[in-house]
Amino acid sequence: MTHDFFVMLSKSWGLFYLIFLFGIAVAYALWPANKEKFDRAAKSIFHDQDEK
Amino acid sequence: MFGVHKKLERNSIAFVLGVIVVASIGGFVEIAPLFTIDETVEADPDMRLYTPLETAGRNIYIREGCYVCHSQMIRTLRDDVERYGHYSLAVESKYDHPMLWGSKRTGPDLARVGGKYSDEWQAQHLRAPRSLVPASKMPNYAFLDRIQVQPDKMASHLRALRTVGVPYTDEMIENASADTIGQADPDGDLSDGVYDRYGAETNVRNFDGDMRKLTEMDALVAYLQILGQLTDLPDAPGVEPSSDTPSEEDNS
Amino acid sequence: MTFDFSPAERDAAIGTSFVAILIGVVMMVSSQSAAFTTHGAMFFAFGVLAFFGFAKDYNKPQAQPYSRDVYYDTPIKLGILLSIAWAIFGFFIGDWVAWLLAYPDLTFDAAWSSFGRIRPAHTTAVIFGFGGNALMATSFHVVQRTCRTSLPGRYGPIFILLGYNLFCLLAVTGYFLGVTQSKEYAEPEWYADILLTVVWVGYFFVFLNTLARREEKHIYVANWYYIAFIVVVALLHIVNNLAVPVSFGDTKSYSAFSGVQDAMTQWWYGHNAVAFFLTAGFLGMMYYYLPKAAGRPIFSYRMSIISFWGITFMYMWAGSHHLHYTALPHWVQTLGMTFSIVLLVPSWASAGNALLTLNGAWDKVRDNATLRFMMVAAVFYGLSTFEGSFLAIRPVNSLSHYTDWTIGHVHSGALGWVAFITFGAIYSVVPQLWKRERMYSPALVEVHFWLALAGTVIYVFAMWNSGIIQGLMWRTYSENGTLTYSFIESLEAMHPYYIARAVGGLLFLMGGLVCAYNVWKTISSSKIVGRVSTSPDGVLEGAA
Repeated sequence: MTHDFFVMLSKSWGLFYLIFLFGIAVAYALWPANKEKFDRAAKSIFHDQDEK
Repeated sequence: MFGVHKKLERNSIAFVLGVIVVASIGGFVEIAPLFTIDETVEADPDMRLYTPLETAGRNIYIREGCYVCHSQMIRTLRDDVERYGHYSLAVESKYDHPMLWGSKRTGPDLARVGGKYSDEWQAQHLRAPRSLVPASKMPNYAFLDRIQVQPDKMASHLRALRTVGVPYTDEMIENASADTIGQADPDGDLSDGVYDRYGAETNVRNFDGDMRKLTEMDALVAYLQILGQLTDLPDAPGVEPSSDTPSEEDNS
Repeated sequence: MTFDFSPAERDAAIGTSFVAILIGVVMMVSSQSAAFTTHGAMFFAFGVLAFFGFAKDYNKPQAQPYSRDVYYDTPIKLGILLSIAWAIFGFFIGDWVAWLLAYPDLTFDAAWSSFGRIRPAHTTAVIFGFGGNALMATSFHVVQRTCRTSLPGRYGPIFILLGYNLFCLLAVTGYFLGVTQSKEYAEPEWYADILLTVVWVGYFFVFLNTLARREEKHIYVANWYYIAFIVVVALLHIVNNLAVPVSFGDTKSYSAFSGVQDAMTQWWYGHNAVAFFLTAGFLGMMYYYLPKAAGRPIFSYRMSIISFWGITFMYMWAGSHHLHYTALPHWVQTLGMTFSIVLLVPSWASAGNALLTLNGAWDKVRDNATLRFMMVAAVFYGLSTFEGSFLAIRPVNSLSHYTDWTIGHVHSGALGWVAFITFGAIYSVVPQLWKRERMYSPALVEVHFWLALAGTVIYVFAMWNSGIIQGLMWRTYSENGTLTYSFIESLEAMHPYYIARAVGGLLFLMGGLVCAYNVWKTISSSKIVGRVSTSPDGVLEGAA
């Protein structure tokens, strides 16, 4: 666990890690099967009750 | 407590774990290397420690929130260096728990204010800043003259500092009370011990001009006068900062 | 409150009151400093008051037995009222310190009232007092409504709010007494930090447990932001506050970190407190109250998910931009700068998402000051995140750092974004909670809006001017290569801007007072609308 090792990790794998995470997030958000779920969720806040 | 919607529950726990993992990596990547290297901090075997009186003064600086208006970090910029002196090196705040680099200069930087002004000037400036600098916005700290330092408490402070990594010796801790008094009493019997333990360059004198009592004014002025004086490294000829110290050209 | 509690919860309430009393006694007995004794006494008094508060109705029958189908709104009401109280206090102290920078003698000849002690009282009161209470209250509101279930218990949320406000009180009174770690936005000392940790863990469990009881399969995105806020703030708080107390009876502790490591840890904390306290939490607020008030679903739910993860994984890297040109290693500065710039993408995605949601509801924005508060919040969110990325660029930072530009930037975010979205949420939630048709006076909401907007704009422009002038004066060279201006000349040049800033702050404070009056009148008016329910809480209808 040397300094160089950490710096190497930060500078190289850090980037891949971010791209990887970003890929997962985008895939989840844009996955066609999820569309219906998200549309429902977006409208769900209007179904709550204690509206006057 | 848990048990009803077990499956849904697992979802939200997985979500929480995801947030933790994703969020901690950034901090880990940035901070962890700083703890593993010596290069972050330049080596200086002669780095002085704060005396008990200076530590008491530093605690007053902390208590009064001086960091809100004064930085202690000279950047590697030409105008910063010309105005305040050699840019700050990491080693200079090595024993600062916590660091007081600050983020705002409503007043000037204080990283190298030590020795710039006389003790009388500093004490008077603290009592009534506008008597010396009419445009100053600084509060009056005349009440420091009225509060006495408690030397017998300093041993426990040094001990706590040793726990977090400041190399105070047993002897320094045992004599903390005596050294607190001795540093502000140059003609007394206790001053020799201060030189012995903290080095010949230690400022031993009465800082607030009142020999009768050891006040917080003594302590704070003692602290201000040591700022930038703990190491000779920045002044040493030919000493280059380590490779990881920032400079304009370095784009590694 | 006690009449809502089950018998077991009543005992828990009495029990925790005794624990607070006990802690107070132990603190006072073992104290070695006057400040520690005072704080022990505060624990004690807090416990005694809580005890009498809880004991009063101890033997009364439970007003409404616990049911998942009945929302529990008492902690929300409590949190909103506490938030408003802290807002008034925090704005007042803030404006006072602003005047002190113009006229430094406008204070008492006493240690407690010097600038260095009351300025942290301002930041703590507004961030933790005003912002924190509003976040807790709205999170309890949003999570119940979007999950269509009640909070898991009745005493837990009350305990959290009371404990949290005791923390805020210890913090603020501590500064007056000279108790501080001098770590920006993490000033409270070790014992207050421990209290906050306990409270926060409780908050985490209550929130998670509510999610676990949800009747909706999908967790609405606002809750994601609240979770990130709760989880990451816990992480930041614990790491940054690691310290060794001088002794048990002493307020003073020494940070576990020193020098460059402490600086990085501190700004990792400081920056991400902005990210996860002042951004993620309030985005959670925005993603619920703004579409709700506009009557339109969020423009792109997908975009809100992508920007959520963007913010969560990128903010953490950006803290080092607070330390440009310092003794921090160069590569860490560069890393921080790069991520700060990339961060603009998810930030603007969120701001754009909010504004596009309003597309088609502009008539409501025009007519409804509550919605307009939220619209302006989204605009300021976009502006201040742009400014933040801009200021993180090293050469720009060389000019702006240490100047009032930073203060202007912070307030463009804190006033324009955080306070505006909070006031929008308060005006949405108060009539709903207290079952009124609307706020007591929509006209006063309008007055508040314009006072707040004028105050913010004056404040931010004053600080842009003073900051840029200051930065330029510091680096101006004369023809023969020497610095043209002394430091004190740069300070003298700030005087008119400091007055303007204090005026802006005064307007903002007046707006806060108008809000407090309006809320008070709304609550105390007797006009209750709709089906008058005998229960103190809304009865759930639309449960799936």
